[in-house]
Amino acid sequence: MIYILMIIASLSTMYFVIPEVTNAAEEPRTFLTHTGLVIKTTGEVIDPIGYSGEPLEFNPDEFMRNFDYGIVTELDDGTVLREFYITARDDQIMEISPGVHYNVWTFNGSVPGPTIRATEGDLIRIHFTNDGSKAHTMHFHGKHKAEMDGVFEIVGPGGKFTYEFYADPVGLHLYHCHVHPVEEHITHGLYGVYIVDPKEPRESAEELVFVLNGMDTDYDGENNFYAANTIPFYYQHHPIEISKNQLIRAYVVNILEFDSINNFHLHGTLFHHFPAGTDTVPSGFNDMLTMSQGDRQILEFEYEYPGLYMFHAHVTEFSEKGWVSSFLVTEQNNIHSDVIDNDSDI
Amino acid sequence: MIQTSKYRIVVSAVAPIILLVIMVAFLVGPGSTFLQFGVIVPEIYLEKIDFVDSEIQVTVRNTGPIDTNIVVADVNDRIQPAAIEPDNHLTRFETALVRIPYDWNEGQPYTIGLTTDDGTRFEKHVDVAFPALVPDLELIGFLGLIGVLVGIVPIMIGLLWLPFIRRLGENGLRFFLAFTIGLLLFLAADAIEESLEISQEHLSDVFNGKLLTFTCVILSFLGLYLVGNQLIKRSQFSKFSKTMTISLMIAIGIGFHNFGEGLAVGAAIGLGQVALGTFLIVGFALHNTTEGLAIAAPLSRKKGIISKLIMFGLIAGSPAIFGTWIGGFSFSPFTAIIFLSIGAGAIFQVILSLINYIRNESEIPFLNIYVISGISLGIVVMYITSIFI
Repeated sequence: MIYILMIIASLSTMYFVIPEVTNAAEEPRTFLTHTGLVIKTTGEVIDPIGYSGEPLEFNPDEFMRNFDYGIVTELDDGTVLREFYITARDDQIMEISPGVHYNVWTFNGSVPGPTIRATEGDLIRIHFTNDGSKAHTMHFHGKHKAEMDGVFEIVGPGGKFTYEFYADPVGLHLYHCHVHPVEEHITHGLYGVYIVDPKEPRESAEELVFVLNGMDTDYDGENNFYAANTIPFYYQHHPIEISKNQLIRAYVVNILEFDSINNFHLHGTLFHHFPAGTDTVPSGFNDMLTMSQGDRQILEFEYEYPGLYMFHAHVTEFSEKGWVSSFLVTEQNNIHSDVIDNDSDI
Repeated sequence: MIQTSKYRIVVSAVAPIILLVIMVAFLVGPGSTFLQFGVIVPEIYLEKIDFVDSEIQVTVRNTGPIDTNIVVADVNDRIQPAAIEPDNHLTRFETALVRIPYDWNEGQPYTIGLTTDDGTRFEKHVDVAFPALVPDLELIGFLGLIGVLVGIVPIMIGLLWLPFIRRLGENGLRFFLAFTIGLLLFLAADAIEESLEISQEHLSDVFNGKLLTFTCVILSFLGLYLVGNQLIKRSQFSKFSKTMTISLMIAIGIGFHNFGEGLAVGAAIGLGQVALGTFLIVGFALHNTTEGLAIAAPLSRKKGIISKLIMFGLIAGSPAIFGTWIGGFSFSPFTAIIFLSIGAGAIFQVILSLINYIRNESEIPFLNIYVISGISLGIVVMYITSIFI
């Protein structure tokens, strides 16, 4: 009897190794070649790093070059008024990495929200509507009256609020929801970039926005994914094309939650950097920049040699969980003519 | 008339089942909206991790209430590209093999993580990365030899106590039989504990390893009780005596137990835990000599039983060989739990037979000083030898 039971045991063991057995019998079809290692497989490949499938809903390429200048009118005293309509929601489920679905909370339907851009001295009027199921606000960094700070004036579900302030000072700022618990509202995606240009425009350059963010998709207080512009590894499989000897101005905003620092490392060249973009004299010339939560920096750089260059968090944990990107520097002049410029609305 | 009553019996047996099916269909059947409340989240369980050539292989099972997709694999919390066979969609209880190309280092700990489509990450930690054993003749022979050394040899050595036990008087024999009960009580407790531990560490909650343990213990006790009674009944008409039957039942019970021990040794070797493996081999070998004593004790008044004793020794010891093979080449928590708990149930049956045997042999009360001290000493000896494991 004991030997019969042995046979049963062996068979039951076979049952648990069956997936391997049946697969071994099939003819391998696919090759997986990444990080130098190759395997043959009959199955499916999951590779967020070398992703080549259907594009996701959010397009970091568009976001990176998209500046919202608002609806522009001129007041009697000559002041430029820029009006923005912003709606907050908290019910969307978005595919934030191939196959990963996460409940994002959004300003105007995306994470990050629109990049709000104005010139120093403009009057900014934000018509804010809360279409969410929770209270939300918009808190802008920069100078404004206390009641425009978006902290104590909680906007409940279905509520509206009009924020009004002058674009001041010049610099790279941000806005985000400031309802308690702020960490939850930010990590779900309620933030965006706010740029105030100087009256005397900066030198002409190709301008790119990078919001360094993360997603805690299983709500355990640690980020599962890191990114520049929301989608992990996006600029790895979609390198950003730029021309050599072209001045690049990168607006880098760190809105990462849970991790107290984040950083930015550029390969193949060095940048001048301007903390919060408030000064016209660079603070340094470097290829490394470390930023705390809410820190911003304007970077200016150009490439001398063509080729593929990485830029990424030098906190390698972050880069290996998505915050790794690349520039493809080309010989030709390929400044983007499709830069969306709402100034033409004037 | 007879036809009608048969018909009635069938209807009365089947009708409640049909009603039950209708009720279940109403509750959870396709299209049913009655029980749609709460939030259903996917759950997966990483059952097994194998380290092969420049590759980490994970056997994963969907243990949740709904289908799910596996969308990200990581090693030490760093995202890695991977392949999933047959595909990344897992229906309930379906398993898949995730193959992660990775230049792992032998001897280092690794945590492997898999993320489902709702963004939840599940992980399993491996203390020591060690190349998965590939069954070849040499290794099969090696593991088999270990099985012999752990199972058969110590039991045969233990059987050599027989001449000593033969010289004992009534009370001395009673003491040794009670000593055997002590040993067996300890073994049963040990097997149940081990089984519960495996269900805790290696089996997803959905399979209810704890209840599987108790189910197997009870079923094997009842099953072997029946078999034992049949054997004893038949022994009245053959030369296969009652004491012989008890010895045989002890050997079978111990056989199951040794299968479990073999699994433990094989699994330790398979997982590359050399130190643990060595301890287990030495410890079990010491431990198992007492099992030989347990088989021999009821036979102390018999003569000319050498060949049968050897057979019993083999029945009790050889399962260790199968155990090391299965444990080393494809450790399955299910197999381990089932065999350990069958072993525990078998041992309880043996204990009951021994108690009955001691009671029937004499008129004096069962729990006398010899029996009590025998049981106590048996447990203490087993405890002390178990420290070596």
